[in-house]
Amino acid sequence: MSGADFVGILPLAILAAAAVLVLLVLSVYRSHLLTCILTLLSLAAAAASLPVAASVGPRGVTILLISDGYALFYTGIILAATFSVTVLSYIFLRSRPGRREELYLLLLLAALGAAVLVFSSHFASLFLGLELLSSSLFVLIAYPRGILNVEAGIKYLILASVSTAFLLFGMSLVYAQLGTMEFARIAAAGRGAGGAILIAGLGLLAVGLAFKLALVPFHMWAPDIYQGAPAPVTAFVASVSKVGAFGVLLRFFRLAGVQGHGHLFLMFTLIAIASMFGGNLLALLQGNVRRLLAYSSISHLGYLLVAFLASGALSVTAVTFYLLAYTATIVAAFGVAVLVEGNGAAGAIADYRGLFWRRPWTAVVMAGALFSLAGIPLTAGFIGKFYLIGAGAGSSLWLLVLALVISSGIGVYYYLRLIVIMYLRPEQTAPETAPAPWSGSLILGALFLAILWLGVYPAPWIDMIQRNALLK
Amino acid sequence: MGVIFYISAAVAVAATVGVITSDNAVHALLYLIVSLLAISLIFYILGAPFAAALEAIIYAGAIMVLFIFVIMILNLGPQEARRERSWLKPRMWVGPAALALILAGELVYLLLESGQAGAPAGTASVGPEPVGATLFGPYLLGVELASFLLLAGLVGALHLGRRETGEEAAGEQEAEAGAARAGGAAGAAVEGE
Repeated sequence: MSGADFVGILPLAILAAAAVLVLLVLSVYRSHLLTCILTLLSLAAAAASLPVAASVGPRGVTILLISDGYALFYTGIILAATFSVTVLSYIFLRSRPGRREELYLLLLLAALGAAVLVFSSHFASLFLGLELLSSSLFVLIAYPRGILNVEAGIKYLILASVSTAFLLFGMSLVYAQLGTMEFARIAAAGRGAGGAILIAGLGLLAVGLAFKLALVPFHMWAPDIYQGAPAPVTAFVASVSKVGAFGVLLRFFRLAGVQGHGHLFLMFTLIAIASMFGGNLLALLQGNVRRLLAYSSISHLGYLLVAFLASGALSVTAVTFYLLAYTATIVAAFGVAVLVEGNGAAGAIADYRGLFWRRPWTAVVMAGALFSLAGIPLTAGFIGKFYLIGAGAGSSLWLLVLALVISSGIGVYYYLRLIVIMYLRPEQTAPETAPAPWSGSLILGALFLAILWLGVYPAPWIDMIQRNALLK
Repeated sequence: MGVIFYISAAVAVAATVGVITSDNAVHALLYLIVSLLAISLIFYILGAPFAAALEAIIYAGAIMVLFIFVIMILNLGPQEARRERSWLKPRMWVGPAALALILAGELVYLLLESGQAGAPAGTASVGPEPVGATLFGPYLLGVELASFLLLAGLVGALHLGRRETGEEAAGEQEAEAGAARAGGAAGAAVEGE
């Protein structure tokens, strides 16, 4: 490894060093606030190193990682989401007993795993990144050690292991057929190659990643884990782990040429349609806000597959912009959950009833996030969906585009229903709520402005994605 | 060589089924050791004697023996002594022993066949040196990432396994609250279906 190689993966190195630093500080001096500030500073430092890493140009760093604009842009999304989750975690843990500091260490490690995923150019780094992400996540989900948390954590652990088994078997079949584990060489060797073993390998690989993304029919875990995990960790599961897994899915299957394999294309099409309709129809039936958002996230990943299946440069732009918009939106929604949810069941609708009359600004942020998820104009979600449909229509994927339009029409109903509930007059026995802490207001305000900015004036972001973050 | 592979693979599958169907932890661990030994044999016939040795020494040897020690040492007492005697009944060890015997037979056959302790005929052998050179050459970052993976596991195990002071009282309260919440969740799940 040369010095330039090292500069190329500087964000990863800073994250890794930060994890070690937090570990060492914890062994000497335990302080919740100090650990949180250290974590925030190192995330900011990693973000500041992104332009430095970009300056050495796209380059492969050993055979395992590739440092290009695409990886750096996705890492930027991951770092920003982790930053918000860290602040939310501080608010969440403030009033809780027990050891709190290890959560930040695990957040850093999970963010490192997600970043390795989007940098990866080899099966080994894909696997290590994914495992680093999921093994940190299952502890994060069980972190407060309540019964529901631990149950959700165990569910995640078992399903993550099962999906990893699928992934590994797929990798070994591809390796057996093509004799290489590097993405670029697989793409070169696999072009034009058919063969049942190769198709089966790529299919199993896709199934493994679909588990992580909670696409129908591999979605069973999502509602339970969204409900059972502590709210900031749910925000992390819904944002960072999806960005990481989708980042590597897009990179690998773009290279491998999903359009070239008819069977794979058909499989992804079916998964996309099932996710869009399954997620939205099941969300209609939910009486719990967390479960509703879980099913909504399933449908959003289905929308993303529409652009993933499209060809051309617009496809990558659309996916990247939509992930950016979705991350800002979903972190804002779960940020509201951190501030609003009382001691009752997680995501109980009673916590949200009449929210506007108790905490108008929090309700406005939640309404903004829900409008963005529904894809109402002036929010990030609208522009995102616009690009998804544009990418799909550009490649004449009419069936998928039609499914997207119809299913998001269904989706509007349950988002608006939740908004109506927030603006209802509160019941007499409404729970008394403390005012939001300033750090929470600040982060929610920033996310709300980001949702509006992406929705009203997306040009600089689109421009940035198209100049820097396209896959060759 | 194909026959040897299929026998070892069948032993590995059978032993793994034994692991997940045994309701006794020690019994399951015995099967797991056999499963790991079968994998080790597969490594050997694929021309990776070094990986085979590591699999046998580290997994089947060190880690599994540690597991068994921990399980057997944790709860000492007269009741435990009775339980240990029940583990020595033939029903408990005859399955893993039979599978291990098959593996031993294969190993002896392989050693006689190749006439030496190197790789079996027909495959290129990968010794320790190329393994090390690859790990610390092109795969250096992978090794570093694996160490962070272990760190995550370690911190997680420490946090989830730690006993807090006054945990008993808090634990009971938590259980009650959890049961109440689980009822709510079950209701929501029913609604969801």
